[in-house]
Amino acid sequence: MVPVDRRMLFTDRRRALLGVLGVAVALVMALALEGIFAGSTGQVSRYVETSPADVFVSQQGVRTIHMSISVLSADTADRVGELPGVEWVEPILFASDAVAGPEGRRATYVFGYQPGGLGGPRTIIEGGEPGPGELVADDSAATALGITVGDEVEILGRPWRVSGLTTGMTSIVNTTVYVRFDDLTQVLGRGDSVSYLLVGTAGDSQAVAEQIEAAVPGVEAQTRPLFSAEERSLVREMSTDLMNIMSVAALIVATAVIGLVLYATILARLRDIGIMKALGLTPRAMTRLVLTQAGWTVATALLLAVAITYALGSVVTAVAPDIDLVVEPASLARAGIAAAVVGAIGAIAPLRRVLKIDPATVFRRPT
Amino acid sequence: MTQPILTASRLKKTFGEGDTKVAAVHDVDLTVRPGEVVLIMGRSGSGKTTLLAMLGAMLRPTSGTILVDGADPTTMPESRLPGLRATTFGFVFQDFNLLSALTVRENVEFALNLAGVTGRPAREQAERLLTGFGLSHRLDFRSDQLSGGEKQRVAIARALANQPLVVLADEPTANLDSKIGHDIARLLRRIATDQRCAVVIVSHDTRLKEVADRILWLEDGAFRNLDQMATDPVCGMSVVPQDALHLQVGGEVVYFCSSNCRDEYAAAEAGGRHTAHHSPPGRA
Repeated sequence: MVPVDRRMLFTDRRRALLGVLGVAVALVMALALEGIFAGSTGQVSRYVETSPADVFVSQQGVRTIHMSISVLSADTADRVGELPGVEWVEPILFASDAVAGPEGRRATYVFGYQPGGLGGPRTIIEGGEPGPGELVADDSAATALGITVGDEVEILGRPWRVSGLTTGMTSIVNTTVYVRFDDLTQVLGRGDSVSYLLVGTAGDSQAVAEQIEAAVPGVEAQTRPLFSAEERSLVREMSTDLMNIMSVAALIVATAVIGLVLYATILARLRDIGIMKALGLTPRAMTRLVLTQAGWTVATALLLAVAITYALGSVVTAVAPDIDLVVEPASLARAGIAAAVVGAIGAIAPLRRVLKIDPATVFRRPT
Repeated sequence: MTQPILTASRLKKTFGEGDTKVAAVHDVDLTVRPGEVVLIMGRSGSGKTTLLAMLGAMLRPTSGTILVDGADPTTMPESRLPGLRATTFGFVFQDFNLLSALTVRENVEFALNLAGVTGRPAREQAERLLTGFGLSHRLDFRSDQLSGGEKQRVAIARALANQPLVVLADEPTANLDSKIGHDIARLLRRIATDQRCAVVIVSHDTRLKEVADRILWLEDGAFRNLDQMATDPVCGMSVVPQDALHLQVGGEVVYFCSSNCRDEYAAAEAGGRHTAHHSPPGRA
């Protein structure tokens, strides 16, 4: 078959390019928003994901760190440590506040850990572990806030000296600082309690988690993947409405662009379509022609949008290291489905116009 | 005598309602046989194109019947008309009406696709037809890269692609110079003779008279007897004597389609030997 649909769409390359670009930009908006969102949810759960712990133990009913308060009695660590399959237990304290520097303020997680233990920063790229009254900050936030090692900052109502810098623990939502367990105990006034237990296991982590819940009343024990998923799920739920609004806005723009592109193409080719009808093109074939044109437009735009989004991810990471743009397969699938729906809706008005064309117009002189 | 391939009986088409109602075609009877070239002439607005659109199943008549190869498009469901057009008719238009987004080969191939021939057979058949019309060197050109004569030959090749029973041609020589116009006229004649298809041409162009088996004059939507028609000696157009400007030249009366033709004729005549007469009111 002669590919009339593609020929009609792409013969005027400038119009086709503008149309595809318009749809691609709208899809990039949706993909980039989702990508930044996916990146930020990953960043928010980074402490959990980079932790050496296999199981996280929290107060019963508390399944996340973000937006949660977990209080466990101090002897819980000993009771968990005695269970078979448990190799080590590390208690941590958790609070959230804001860290202020000369260049501004930023929301922060505050983790209290035993220096030398497994609850602290994974790497220290400058300086050293915190001594009494000291903290380790993230390098990205430190740069943004104008903080360097040796500076003094205020968190939780008292001053702290920056002893070192870690990396990769700042997101667009917040940053992370690490202080000594004893210091945070004192600041929070929680002498006989801890927030969470990090547990290293030998063997099946899920079985150990179930065993902890069975043996120690009043606790919630989750494997690291599960705990991380809960963390991301919470962040996602908190932002779902906003994301939906932004995505719908992007898709409305895409629909309008597709509709306009196809309509403009149809208007420019009314005579050609009249000729095709006169020669015997059926309404069904005409419907297929318009839908195929919509399909080509959105498929080309989708490919372009994915390429632009990946390129944008690299640029964003280089320019703003705190922003992580992650294009997930599910996000691509959603964008693909949305593009197909948008293409079909955008084709309705052009299709109606095409079906109304009178084949006898071919006898009129073109104007 | 061979059976007619196309028959129209008491064909009528009116547009508008009430005071604005206009009968574009009324009580037209027409019979065309295979191999026959019928030329329908008439002034602009005489109903030629309306008649052609009805014969080609693009416009439903207000009343009357059309039979083409035993089928009546006037009563056929709308959904079947495209199929009838694709398989039974070949169309040649005044403005060529080639699809501008397609190449020469694709234009012909597309008509074959509509008639159900696809893939390599369609491509090869298109190439064969175009080569037959001397267009083998233009297969991958777009229509805007062709001359007028080439465009019309492509249009004729497209019209013949589906081996139609009837070729309907609307002013096929109007946009062509004299020589090319003659070539196209002879081509249409050859097609009718060689392929035994009926060719119905509507045109002002008197050059087409030489290839027509029959000439019909359409005036105000109805056929008139050509015996009563006169020919403008300047442009060659047929005119209705009682409506036309005329000059008395010696003992003869000469009729003209317009004052321009009359004046040109008069200027060519030396010494003002004849006297202009103003026939119908307002036509001076």
